[in-house]
Amino acid sequence: MKTIITTILLLTFSSLTLAQDKKNDVVYKYKDYDVIDLGSLEVKGEIVAPGDLTVVEREKKDFDKRLLEKNNFDLEIKREIENLR
Amino acid sequence: MKNTLLLLALFSLPVQQVYASAKEAYKIYLNDKTKDKNKEIAHELIDGQYYFSAIPFINKYLEENTKIDKQLEDDIETLVVRTGTMAVLNLEEKRLQQFNIPSINLILGTRLFQKEKYKESLEVISQIPSNHKFAIEADLIKGSIKDLASLNAEALAYYRQCSDKAIRFESEGKYEKLKRYYTYLKETCLIREARLEIKNKNYSKAVEIYDQIDKRSYKWPYTLLEKAWANYYLKDYNRSLGLLTTYKSPLLSSYFFPEAEVLTALSYYNLCLYDDALVVVDHYYEFYKPKAQALKDILNTNKKSNTYFLDLYYADPSTRENLNPFIRNLITQTRKQVKFNLDLASLKNAKDELALLKRLKSKNDFTAQLEVNLDETIQFISARMNYYIKKEIYQFITDIHRHSYSMFNLKLELLSQKRNQIYRPQAKNQRDRGDVENINRTTSQYFFDFNGSFWADELGDYSFALASACVENKSEEEKK
Repeated sequence: MKTIITTILLLTFSSLTLAQDKKNDVVYKYKDYDVIDLGSLEVKGEIVAPGDLTVVEREKKDFDKRLLEKNNFDLEIKREIENLR
Repeated sequence: MKNTLLLLALFSLPVQQVYASAKEAYKIYLNDKTKDKNKEIAHELIDGQYYFSAIPFINKYLEENTKIDKQLEDDIETLVVRTGTMAVLNLEEKRLQQFNIPSINLILGTRLFQKEKYKESLEVISQIPSNHKFAIEADLIKGSIKDLASLNAEALAYYRQCSDKAIRFESEGKYEKLKRYYTYLKETCLIREARLEIKNKNYSKAVEIYDQIDKRSYKWPYTLLEKAWANYYLKDYNRSLGLLTTYKSPLLSSYFFPEAEVLTALSYYNLCLYDDALVVVDHYYEFYKPKAQALKDILNTNKKSNTYFLDLYYADPSTRENLNPFIRNLITQTRKQVKFNLDLASLKNAKDELALLKRLKSKNDFTAQLEVNLDETIQFISARMNYYIKKEIYQFITDIHRHSYSMFNLKLELLSQKRNQIYRPQAKNQRDRGDVENINRTTSQYFFDFNGSFWADELGDYSFALASACVENKSEEEKK
């Protein structure tokens, strides 16, 4: 039993060591500078939402709050005749 | 001594005549078996100045007969003058339509007008001859019907006829009371002309007509509000505010109109003095809300009583002092109404007549019947007057509520304008209060120096001198 466990552990350690060696072989190389021409960029697709940060002005709601007007004296006329005699 | 005897003889003469006529009426009551019996009894009673006692007999005759001779026509006319519309109180409109005499036409026409049957009313009223003494009232009603139908030119013609006739009758009148009544009609028609000018947007013309009403007239305090409207539409808000301030005078303490408060606030609003306008709006709610509630309570508690409100009128000064001052003032305002005064005179005359009947030496079933009728008539007049006061109070509460709505709308508008002011920090909110430069004056208006004058002379001629804040805001914007 002891032998089996020792064998498994040995195998596991040896595979990990091998993987590490492979990673160390990768060489990353970056460009010294890059030019991006924004004017020549083209994006294909449809605009589904406003692109800019804007607030669309809503139409101002005018509530029906009419101020008192005195266009006629109908009420007073009726009351006066009621009180004539 | 001789003079005293002569005076006694003079005073006792009508009383003797009264007794004689009552006796004559009793004879007819006993012996006349014809269909004219009631008509003749009424005639004798009217002759003896028992006007209210005659009413049931006239009504009974007209219920049973359609023929009206000259004597009866004159009697009905006398009754209309002495007792008002009570002359044919028990008769339905359908029955009244069967008669064609000026006095009945006037009563029927008025009743139909009140029921908003304007076409029928116009037909009936138009039958009154143009030279008859009731023609002034007829023209007033005809003008009112045309006015309500917005036939302004026709209405104006009737109103002018009405005031012209009233001026003529006023100068020819023999009795002071009658003259005063014609003056009242003349002023009513003049005011109607002014209102039509407002309706036609001829505001300056309207102000000119209002100026013709004498300051001592009963109608004058009511014209202030209407004149203020005319000035409001002329955009002379300072004059409008000045006219409305007149109601704050101690002499006019019994005149208060919710509409005047709304117009005051509107005038401030149009001068862009929003803070002042808000003060008026807030004051309206604070002032009128408890008053309306007090009136509502008093109406609800006494709605079934036929005498409560009339008793308030008759109450002695100490009892009246204990009343809510607002209710006291409202009763004072009602007392100044012509209709109420006419009814008051009728009530007094009916009571005097009953007292006279009770003093008659020879009592019989006829006089007993007269007493019962008169008692009922007195109760009826009292109930009618009580109802009149009740109606005035009810109308006043309605006015308060109606104008609360106007004030609410105005407050919304004011708050909106105040918000705009906050977003316009450059707008100058500070303003000087009053400058002679801001007063618009006509050639007939001048500054009152108060030297040797009674302080109330200037009532109704005030003007504010406030600068419009709107102009300041505008100029600030222009500067930018």
